[in-house]
Amino acid sequence: MGACLQTVPVSFRAEDRYDQSLGRLFLPGSMIDRGVEGDRLAGIEKGLFSAEVAGNEKLSPACRLIRFARPEGFPDAKPGHFVSVRVNSFSVPLLRRPYSIMDLTETELLLLVKVVGPGSRLLAEAAVGDRMDIAGVLGGTVFPSPAGEDAVFVGGGTGLAPMIFAARTWKREGNTGNSYLIHGAATSEELLGTFCESDFTKVFRSTMDGSEGYDGDAVSYLQSLLNDDTISGSKLYSCGPAGMVKALELKVSTRFDSHYTSLEAVMACGVGACRGCTVPLREEDGRKLRAVCSDGTVFDASQIAWEDWE
Amino acid sequence: MSASGSIKVTIGDVSFDNPVFLASGPAGYGEEYADFVDLQRLGGIVTKTVTYEPKAGNPGTRLQETRGGLLNSVGLENVGAGVFFGEKLPGLLDNGIRPIVSLAAEDWDGYRRLLDAAAGAGEIDIVELNLSCPNVDRGGMAVGTDPRMISRYVGHAKDILSGTAVIAKLTPNVQDIGRLALAAEEAGADAITAINTIVGMDIDIHAKRPVFKRIRAGLSGPAIFPVALEAVWRIVNTVDIPVIGVGGIDSVDDALKFFMAGAAAVQVGTAIFYDSRLPEKIITELEKNGIPASINRGGA
Repeated sequence: MGACLQTVPVSFRAEDRYDQSLGRLFLPGSMIDRGVEGDRLAGIEKGLFSAEVAGNEKLSPACRLIRFARPEGFPDAKPGHFVSVRVNSFSVPLLRRPYSIMDLTETELLLLVKVVGPGSRLLAEAAVGDRMDIAGVLGGTVFPSPAGEDAVFVGGGTGLAPMIFAARTWKREGNTGNSYLIHGAATSEELLGTFCESDFTKVFRSTMDGSEGYDGDAVSYLQSLLNDDTISGSKLYSCGPAGMVKALELKVSTRFDSHYTSLEAVMACGVGACRGCTVPLREEDGRKLRAVCSDGTVFDASQIAWEDWE
Repeated sequence: MSASGSIKVTIGDVSFDNPVFLASGPAGYGEEYADFVDLQRLGGIVTKTVTYEPKAGNPGTRLQETRGGLLNSVGLENVGAGVFFGEKLPGLLDNGIRPIVSLAAEDWDGYRRLLDAAAGAGEIDIVELNLSCPNVDRGGMAVGTDPRMISRYVGHAKDILSGTAVIAKLTPNVQDIGRLALAAEEAGADAITAINTIVGMDIDIHAKRPVFKRIRAGLSGPAIFPVALEAVWRIVNTVDIPVIGVGGIDSVDDALKFFMAGAAAVQVGTAIFYDSRLPEKIITELEKNGIPASINRGGA
């Protein structure tokens, strides 16, 4: 899914954060963080919530849109934030499943779900009225706003979710720049239809097997769209499989001023404690393993040590 | 213990309000879970294992869910003694949280320096020696499978950390964990924690390679509970010092079983990921109905 798993920063001191420009809203463990940012920071707080399923819509043969009624007291979120869902009260599957927030309104929390295993299957089969235990809002960094400039979003598979949240959020905030979405999927079964067309200036679709839309991967499609001047932009945002994001960074990112990506990872705690979802970053003082869940999920893609990231 | 009685527990000379702790590892330094768990209500928190020097941990995949379990190859990533004793530990203490400090060493020299740092920190009344991590090349399980090494490590900790209770956390990846427990007791350990993770592995059938770069990883979660319960039963029959049961607690009932096997306290690890309030549920049950008496009359 869009967001990813968790890990713990080596230190919680603000000066150790790899990029203060990303709009960090809180520090993991802020309650007892005694660093320079002081006590609990204003903004996002985490909590456990019982959320009721308010809708379950089929978006494609493989993907569903799950609508949860927003629980009382559920914190606000920004693009790149995620939640972690306990899909049943048993221990099979064991762990919570992390999902990027596709949208959060005053009344609803929307998640995009593709069945890839037992956890996502149980979530995809949720009935209206079912209740699930949701940990949120999680994540330490969010996508920086394009601030009026034209933006290109690349969402691979359900990596589409945070792209939609970003587009909707910035539109609500009055952002006026053009927004182009390239949505890639393996096959037409996983390709998502027209439900998000109104969120972007224009939407382009591709499938790896050529069964619908552009015949090929989303990165090649973006290259051709840039080459023939169909679209342009200064900000690049992405979320999707590591191979796609890596190709974006290595092949296309030089055409943009910046490339921010929300990484996907397997996570256990989601709050930076267990250190299970680390990503290698190139930082000023050398290579560092950072937690996707709490140091991300949003990273400057140029800082990721792609040669060591799968 | 009666329903109306205290559920305090004493390890060495150290008293805890209740016998329910967070296990070392999953919950980090505790602070990360402050929004999900009432940390002050817990008997204590065994902090993420600290080594003298900071450790970056293992590269590549670190987690793999299994049926009823979780394989991890984190590799003792930690902030090192300086940051831990200087920042993390004071933070816990200032917030009224009871830390049990988990220590590990890669070699004897590092171990001595770590103990000296711990002794200098001054605010530590209880430590848990992680003599059993399977995810590192040196120290950890490489030390903890040899009773003579356990004796040496525990004995040195007792020498250096005078007045501090010392718990030895043992690995189940041996023929008889009772022998390890006996070695720890004879060297002066105040308690035994059992068990650490069980060695396992997984294979990525598409990539045709092991999931973890180190091939082997540590299995935790409900799948290992019966193994942990048997280990606690066996150790209780082997030593006279308190035994702390850990490994796969997935419900209040699992915790009660550890007490019936003779454990003096329990730790919750992997369950904190999916049922963060389980430790508090266990405490509530113990407060209501007391700590179950041991049914362990031997038979190991």
